[in-house]
Parts: sequence; structure tokens; C-alpha cells
Amino acid sequence: MMKYPSGIEKPSKEHFRFYAAYYLPIYAGIKAYTIDELIEGLRRVDGLSIFYHVFHPLFASHVMPEDLHNDFAVWIKNELHLDDLAYEISDIPGAEPRTVEDVRKDLIDILSRDKYDARAKRPFSFISCKPVIYDTGKEASNLAELMDLIASITFRAIGYHFVFKRVMGYSQKNDFSSWIERNYEEFTELGKRLSSLDPQTYTEEEKLRKDIISIIMEVFKR
Amino acid sequence: MIEKYSSIIGEDELDSIFKIAEKLKGLSILHVNSTAAGGGVAEILSKLVPLMNELGIKTDWKVIRGDQQFFTVTKAFHNSLQNGKGELPQNAFETYKKWQEINGNELDLDYDIVFIHDPQPAGLIEFRKKLGSKWIWRCHIDISQPYDVVWNFLRAYISKYNSMIVSSAIFGRSDLNIPQFIIPPSIDPLSIKNRDIPDITVYRILNKFDVDPDRPIITQVSRFDRAKDPVGVIQTYKLVKRHIDAQLVYLGSPASDDPEGEIVYKETVAAAGDDKDIKLLMLPPNSDLEVNVFQRASNVVMQKSIKEGFGLTVSESLWKRRPVIGGNTGGIPLQVIHGVTGYLVDTVEEAAHYALFLLRHTEIANKLGNNGHEHVRTNFVITRELKDYLMAAYLTMFPGTEIPK
Repeated sequence: MMKYPSGIEKPSKEHFRFYAAYYLPIYAGIKAYTIDELIEGLRRVDGLSIFYHVFHPLFASHVMPEDLHNDFAVWIKNELHLDDLAYEISDIPGAEPRTVEDVRKDLIDILSRDKYDARAKRPFSFISCKPVIYDTGKEASNLAELMDLIASITFRAIGYHFVFKRVMGYSQKNDFSSWIERNYEEFTELGKRLSSLDPQTYTEEEKLRKDIISIIMEVFKR
Repeated sequence: MIEKYSSIIGEDELDSIFKIAEKLKGLSILHVNSTAAGGGVAEILSKLVPLMNELGIKTDWKVIRGDQQFFTVTKAFHNSLQNGKGELPQNAFETYKKWQEINGNELDLDYDIVFIHDPQPAGLIEFRKKLGSKWIWRCHIDISQPYDVVWNFLRAYISKYNSMIVSSAIFGRSDLNIPQFIIPPSIDPLSIKNRDIPDITVYRILNKFDVDPDRPIITQVSRFDRAKDPVGVIQTYKLVKRHIDAQLVYLGSPASDDPEGEIVYKETVAAAGDDKDIKLLMLPPNSDLEVNVFQRASNVVMQKSIKEGFGLTVSESLWKRRPVIGGNTGGIPLQVIHGVTGYLVDTVEEAAHYALFLLRHTEIANKLGNNGHEHVRTNFVITRELKDYLMAAYLTMFPGTEIPK
């Protein structure tokens, strides 16, 4: 039986209000058949397009988690059969404080290193997206409630607070860490541990939720 | 009614629909299409419109009218947009414009948000009167390689819309400057075509069409259209038949507006030869119960298309936990995930190989079928399309990117 950590029910100075978001896909007007065209597309599309393709496997509700972490890698492997390149593109790091612009730069750098002749039968269609954000009506007034809500709320809220705002550059770090650090000085380590979790290499939403909860439990155990 | 979907999609998903709908409270929405019954568009609108009203959004549905000449023109438009070939009746554009004007003057189009479905009523945009109203063109067909003459004619109208919707990114157009939302179509799990039915009904209908429930059944539900490769389906079945005593059901409906349908049907009959285990069934449109039965009773469902729009029969079959062997084209790869919900194929030999594999390995067929059901549940159920429509309406009405909270 886990020891119940003291202080987690201490009221926070500010409540944590949970919002959630869906991202409606929009055709970005660019199709790529080759690596060169993919690079050109990466240069032209907006940040939301990078966000969409990097996190699409995470939000796609696939029945089986994919072994490649983003759409670019899947296309490079399935259509161009450049397996090693696909794996490298798949595993680009995305932990804080990196944003979609850092990811864009990494993608272009890796793809530009060599020349590739392969041409796909089916193009990579660049897609962007527009977020639609809604208030879930739920809020936490202490750390214990935050933990309970992370465990039970729609993943769309976790994705919004833990992934979207930070990788799109609206905030420096994920909302959970920021809130913990602002409200619970004694739990700043928890904030830091959550910040070190890289959501970009997840393709299954419940796995990410589980790992966030595991970090919380680990810190509480100490 | 919408609460009935809760057991399928979960409370979180249902809650999100209510929350997003709240953003549209007080606005009026109109859907316009060209037919009140028959076809996929009328089918989806008959569900979406009541659901939107149930969410508290005032939503109406209006149908344009036209004479036979007009619908001959719009059918020619439809074909030429999908197959890239141009065979237009005389004075096609004049006929089209005339009926846009008649409908534009007759219909009350003064709504906050107007969804115009497909090319038939696209020209109504010229009759937008209400200041500040937003118009969205919903394209249900493949416009990736259209006949340029028709496309350019329609593009002049479409470019006046505030946004448009396509079913897949592969149908996206690079020659338009309006936002193109991507909203795949969906199935209604509660409809007669998709809901659970008693075994006795399944047996009764199989018996009615002389199909043996005790031997393996391979089914394809499609029009007799070369794009659906009915002859390839027969060839596939014949390769499988060398190993397994299977039966083939090809369930289609007469396409009076498709002059090639009769020819393709005859080609298919010729390819079938005198094999009594091949059932080429020509059933009336809206034979939903029969479609349900044959998809449900099949061991393997095929959608061996060479060219496809979205191919929603794939989702219908996956929903019934049947693995699907699908052509690697159009929207099929979004539904058939190779080795997970079925198999994607390019040739008759591949199709036969995987059909045989699935018939031999029923445990794998069951696993793929169960995966398929889950894939459809999370991606292709009508409530997802409803939510996407609400988001498209909201983002068109309020186009700036939301500032995160």
C-alpha cells in the first residue's frame, strides 16, 4: 500500500481549469512525392501542420499503436522504403522546451543530409489543422484533485495542456508543471519530472496518460 | 436520440459534442442538396439534421428542384469530375445556371451558416443575400483529377464560398484559396444497414437468395462499375475456389443513370460463367437489410476497387467485425489498415491470396474483424462527422485561430 503523501490536499492558490481541444484537419495545399518535395513542403507549411503530422498518431485513435511516431516517418518507410531514414525521423526528440519550430528544423536538417532519388506512388499530402477549444467544466483545487482528473478526464484535455500549448509555443512548459511550480513549492521536482517526459515519441494516448500518472506516483512515493 | 450513441462512443466524446455545439447556440444552419432520399448525402443529412437540432442549433434541410435535363447535366458533371472525361449534354452550363437561378429565387437561403452539398446546388452561392452569412461547400466526391472544363466552371462558384469540405486529403485542391476542411464520411451504427439483427433474419435472407450459410461466403457490395472491378472480384473468387468450397455474393443495384452499368453487368455475368456459387444480385436501392445480412454473414468482405471515392461499405463491414480486402485507392487505406483491419491489395492474385489466408485462419479473421470494429467506432461513426461539421461551421463563422486559455 502506497504511503499517502502529505500536502497534496493543501488548497492551491489558483484552481486548475481543464480545457480540451479537437483539431480539425485542413488541406495545406501541398503534396510531396520525393524527399526534396517533402523538404520544400516542410519549409512552407505553418506550425500547426508540423504539430498535426508529428502528433497525428497520438491523437488518431488507432487500434494498434504505430511503431513510427509521426506521419513523415510512416510515409518515408511505406512509400519510399527508406527505412533507416524513417526511423531517424520517427525519433526526433520533442521534450521541453522544444517547439514545432525546433522539430521543423530537425526534420529539414536530417532530410537534407543526403540526396534521395526515390519517388512515391502515393504522395504525402500536407495537412494543417485548426484547434477548437472547449471548457470541460472541471477544475482542480488541489494537487490530489489534479491527479484524479488527469487519471479520469478526456485525453483531449491532457493533450491540450500537456502537449499542444507548449509545442505550439503558447507556453514555455506544460500547464501541469507550471501550475504545480506556481502553487506547490514543495513539489517542484514533480513539475520538473513531468517536463522531462517527451510526448512526441508516443503513439497511444492512454500510454502517455499512464506514464504521466506513473511519474506523479513515483514522486509521491519518496 | 443522440444519447443513444453514448454506449458506442463514450460519455467524454458525447460531452465534447455538446460543448462544441454550445459555441454555435443562437446561429441558424441550412443544408441544401439535390435529393431528399436515395444516395449517401440524403442518408447522412437525414441523420445529421435532427441531431443538430437536438443539440439546440436551429438546422433546416432544403432540396433543390430541377427537370430531367438539369439532372442529366449534373450527372454528367458528377461523372466528368470523378473520371476526368468530358461528355456533356448540349447547353449544359446554361441549363445548370437556369436552375440555380430558379432555386436561388425560390428558396429562403437567409441563414447564418449554409452547407451546400456537392456540385448540383453549388451555384446558389450567387444568391447569397444575408450579410455576414457563411457558406460552406461540402464535396462528397473525388475531385482530384476532374475534367478541367467542368471543374473550371464550378471553381468560379466554389472560390466564392468561405470554406469547403473534402472527404480526404487526397481530394484536396491546390487551385483554390479557401480553407479546405478534411471530414471523412461516416456510418450510423443504429441504422437498419448497420445495427445488430437476429440470426433468424440472416438465415432467412440467405435462404431467400439461395446462399448456403454453412459454407464460406465472400461478398462485395458495389455498383456494377469498372471502378469497383467486379470482374476482378470474380477472378479472385475463382482462384480461391481452387482451394476452398466458397461462395461469392456480389450485391449491386441497378444504376439507371450510368449507361455503362448494363455493359459492366454483362461482362460480370460472362466472367461468372455457369458457376452456381456465384450470386450476382441486383437489388433495389435502399436494400439496407439485405446489405446488412450479406456483410454480416460473410467470412471475408471485399472492396476491390481500382478507383474509389471513400468506399464507406468498408466501414460498414468492419463495423460488423468482418475483415476487408480492399483496393489500395481513394479512402480505402484510411479504413483498411494492412494486417490490422484487413489487407490492401493491388492485384487479383494478392486479393485471392489474402482471401484464402483469412478463410483458412478464422482466428486471424476474427481478430482483424474485431480491430476493424474498434477502428470504425473511434473514427467513422456519425457522431464524429457531426462533431466535425460543428467545428467546420464554427471555424468558418469565427475564422481566427482560437487563443489558448
